Amino acid sequence: MAMKIPKSGYNRFMKEGAQHFKGTDEAVQRNIEACTELASQIRSAYGPNGMNKMVINHIEKLFVTNDAATILKELEIQHPAARIIIMATEMQEKQIGDNTNTVVILAAALLEHAANLIHMGMTPQEVAAGYEQAAEKALEILPTLVVKEATDMKNIEEVRQYIRSAITSKQYDNEDIIADLVAKACVTTCPANSFNFNVDNIRICKIIGSGVHTSTVMNGMVFKRGAEGEIREARDARIAVYTCPFDLTQTETKGTVLIENADELRNFSKGEEAEVEEQVKAIADNGVKVVVAAGKFGDMYLHFLNKYKIMAVRLTSKFDLRRLCRTVGAQPQARICAPAVNLLGHCDSVAVQEIGDENVVVFDKKSETGKVATIIIRGSSQSRIDDVERAVDDAVNTYKALTKDGKLLAGAGAVEIELAKEIESFGAKAPGLEQYAIKKFAHALETLPKAIAENAGMPTTETLTKLYAEHVAGKKNAGIDIWKRETMDAVVNNIFDLYAGKRLAIKLATDAASTILKVDQIIMSKQATGGPKPRGPKAQDEDDDGMA
Amino acid sequence: MMRPPIILLKDGTENKQGKGQIISNINACQVVADSIRTTLGPRGLDKLIVDSKGATTISNDGATILKLLDIVFPAASTMVDIARSQDAEVGDGTTSVVVLAAEILKQMKPFIEDGVHPQLLIRAIGKACEKTLKNLADLEIKINGETELREMLVKCAATTLSSKLVSQERLFFANMIVDAVNTLDAHLPLNMIGIKKVNGGNLHESRLIKGVAFQKAFSYAGFEMQPKKYSNVKVALLNIELELKAEKENAEMRLTNVSDFQAVVDAEWNILYDKLQKIHDSGANVVLSKLPIGDVATQWFADRDMFCAGRIPQDDLDRLMSACGGSVLTTVSQIDDSVLGKCGKFYEQQVGSERYNFFEDCSKAQACTLLLRGGAEQFIAETERSLHDAIMIVRRAKKNDSIVAGGGAIEMELSRLIREHSKGIEGKDQAFWMAYGQAFEIIPRQLCQNAGLDALDVLNKLRHRHAQGEKWAGIDIHREAVGDNLVACVWEPSIVKRNAITAATEAACLVLSIDQTVKNVRTPSGGAMPGLPGQ
Repeated sequence: MAMKIPKSGYNRFMKEGAQHFKGTDEAVQRNIEACTELASQIRSAYGPNGMNKMVINHIEKLFVTNDAATILKELEIQHPAARIIIMATEMQEKQIGDNTNTVVILAAALLEHAANLIHMGMTPQEVAAGYEQAAEKALEILPTLVVKEATDMKNIEEVRQYIRSAITSKQYDNEDIIADLVAKACVTTCPANSFNFNVDNIRICKIIGSGVHTSTVMNGMVFKRGAEGEIREARDARIAVYTCPFDLTQTETKGTVLIENADELRNFSKGEEAEVEEQVKAIADNGVKVVVAAGKFGDMYLHFLNKYKIMAVRLTSKFDLRRLCRTVGAQPQARICAPAVNLLGHCDSVAVQEIGDENVVVFDKKSETGKVATIIIRGSSQSRIDDVERAVDDAVNTYKALTKDGKLLAGAGAVEIELAKEIESFGAKAPGLEQYAIKKFAHALETLPKAIAENAGMPTTETLTKLYAEHVAGKKNAGIDIWKRETMDAVVNNIFDLYAGKRLAIKLATDAASTILKVDQIIMSKQATGGPKPRGPKAQDEDDDGMA
Repeated sequence: MMRPPIILLKDGTENKQGKGQIISNINACQVVADSIRTTLGPRGLDKLIVDSKGATTISNDGATILKLLDIVFPAASTMVDIARSQDAEVGDGTTSVVVLAAEILKQMKPFIEDGVHPQLLIRAIGKACEKTLKNLADLEIKINGETELREMLVKCAATTLSSKLVSQERLFFANMIVDAVNTLDAHLPLNMIGIKKVNGGNLHESRLIKGVAFQKAFSYAGFEMQPKKYSNVKVALLNIELELKAEKENAEMRLTNVSDFQAVVDAEWNILYDKLQKIHDSGANVVLSKLPIGDVATQWFADRDMFCAGRIPQDDLDRLMSACGGSVLTTVSQIDDSVLGKCGKFYEQQVGSERYNFFEDCSKAQACTLLLRGGAEQFIAETERSLHDAIMIVRRAKKNDSIVAGGGAIEMELSRLIREHSKGIEGKDQAFWMAYGQAFEIIPRQLCQNAGLDALDVLNKLRHRHAQGEKWAGIDIHREAVGDNLVACVWEPSIVKRNAITAATEAACLVLSIDQTVKNVRTPSGGAMPGLPGQ
């Protein structure tokens, strides 16, 4: 091994500076090492007792989180093989929005075990084939392990239980509060056909101050800005929404007003005033109490809005405007006019409130169900609020996944152990060399409960053996109880995992692992001189503007 | 092996992890707390901070100091955040929240060093915090009745002010602030209390104007002739430029003969005169505008015994509006009596080296102005911050009318209750609860240290008294002894404490839960990370 690596022919016909790795030792082992290294970075963030990571990204923004997707996104991993795993997590994030850490840990564990097998003399292809076989079997077994099916997506109590475990792993000591908020928000906005549930309908408003436990959920929307005019409150209000600035319109073509004589000059501004008043009066006559516009409110218009006691709210984001329309049921107008009554929205209360030291406009629909719900997150520091937001996000995504596929598995590591057990016995029956790989797949599955136990400071081997003993004894739902530090029945304790999430995670992790195993050659061309172009601050998420 | 090391992260990325990381984060937070520790309490000292632009600030407000310190160490910035959040939510107690958070961390440090899993600590102190808040709710005293309420507000304001620069004059200011807040409407909007600073004079010359006062605006010739005193004033609030000017930006004039020219010139004058006449006809005798009022208008008003002032800042105009009623007009075409503000008297007066316009006895009277006097500029600036804190406290106290005794009394009692409760807890948690309870003693201890008292001695006495059931025993700094602070009228709104405890606990949990810091290379060059202290 210590021999100098012989130069391959490649270097001769490639540009100088290009790197080239080949063969099992150089390529496969190195890739595996990189991936295990990656997993070891975020392994301690797994499970309810996972620790947070503090990541400062390239524009000096601070993240404190244990959400694997966020950590990996901000870490800026460079290694090509490790990037494959990250791509898998991104896929998971997009599809389910949770279980990202599972993907990384499982994939890395698979690779780590593969390294042993390769050491023993198996070829990476054989290992990969074995893994794929095992994964197929695992996905076959998985449906039989479903313990419960979420049927009533409108039942707050029930929903709360299902999404709780997604939050527990993010916000360990606040899981009950957040689960309550999210469950309420989800159920409020869930349409009659829960299949059409839209994550976008749950808005988050972050206001610093007080503590997480004072976070609330309300039916309607909250915007972090004050009212424009003098009127700060309207009850039982009709709402007119405009996508244009509420000001005198300027023509696109540049024109001048031609004044011929002194009288015209004198009457000029009078005409304008009269017209504005007429417009505002027409709006007021339709019973409008609140005007929302996307742009500036002109002084003249504001004057008359005040006169007719109409509240003026300005929203800068067109996405917010669209959501507001959905909330209050208004049809947005592209120009200033008096919309017909059926195009107006309605809201029980629109008011400027002070939360913390922030003035917010609250559009409150007092009723039980609605189109859009807002969760107001409070917290003592920005990073804390951000992390709660991510937990809420995961939970909402879990709910969404449930509306698509309501199957649930036993959580707390129970399902992994059961799978491992089944696959182990399946492996024993396999005739060929793949037997080894299949058995290793089972071992890799064990890594997940092991990580939970490890992060909780429990003796890992002991816990695992205990779990196996229970599973063999037929207790299929035995999982880890990190509070009492023993085993327990996950179903009885209401700890569930999403079937869809687990299924995808296993699939993605296996795919990523076998892809990496099948790489035997890495060619990296020399990086362009001058280094990578500095990326500017990332464009704000279009959904976020105006709310952030 | 010839293999080069595996490069997972970008070159230059800093990566720290493990137990050492938690300890070092705790140390960093300690350093932050140390920097403002000495400002706590009536005998706390101030800090002088010179910022990068050379501006000097003297303050003992924790949030102000931390904001100016420009802390870049990632974990320590949590401390700045909680000070800010306390400032936003309550307005006072910013120093205590940081000191408390740092102390909780300090108490937890030995456990981390001993290898306790941080999540266990987090869980335990989270539970302990819940219990503490429950205890606090049991302890707090609700105030009923109008006069009692007012008294309570004055006392709360006085307690806040006692730890500030103006502590000598605290009763004077406390009364002033309570009066000020009481004039506001139900929403208690902060911006309806104007604070004006005038150099010179002494603190005692500061006063509360139940109405609006602002510095005389820039004025044109003719101003001297205007009367400076009215009673039963009608105020026109405008957003119009009273000046000869083009009506419309891009209007163009085309004249065909010479006689038209004079007509047009006259018309321009007439437009202005029309406006002025309308204002006059409405019965207004004071005209204020956000935009300039030119000299033609000034003289025209002067001829008719009216007063005018242009370029009035928006916030003053807003205050006038809520004090006198009426509304700000963008056009005078429909001006009449109903849109005018009304107030009892208006006068102009010399204050220090400035001339001020005063509006008093206003009809709606939902705004007021504090006129601060004092020597140095920094001194007044700090007075303003102190008053701001006190105003916030009074506002909060008005909404949540329950109080606790300050001066370390409530902390000692909470500490005692938690420790007592902890004895009934099984397992490791007992030690954590104990430590959490212990952490509360930092407030009285720091108060003693800052006042030069023997902290050990005083704390012993306090513990003794609390154990005997004197739940409001606290430190009486002025007598340098231990006494019943409820009787001594050292009162604080309980919401201050509630928020401080929540924020401090959350911050401590956050810092404890971090076991790894990764700092990416900053894309634009510069901005090196300072060395991590404590490593």
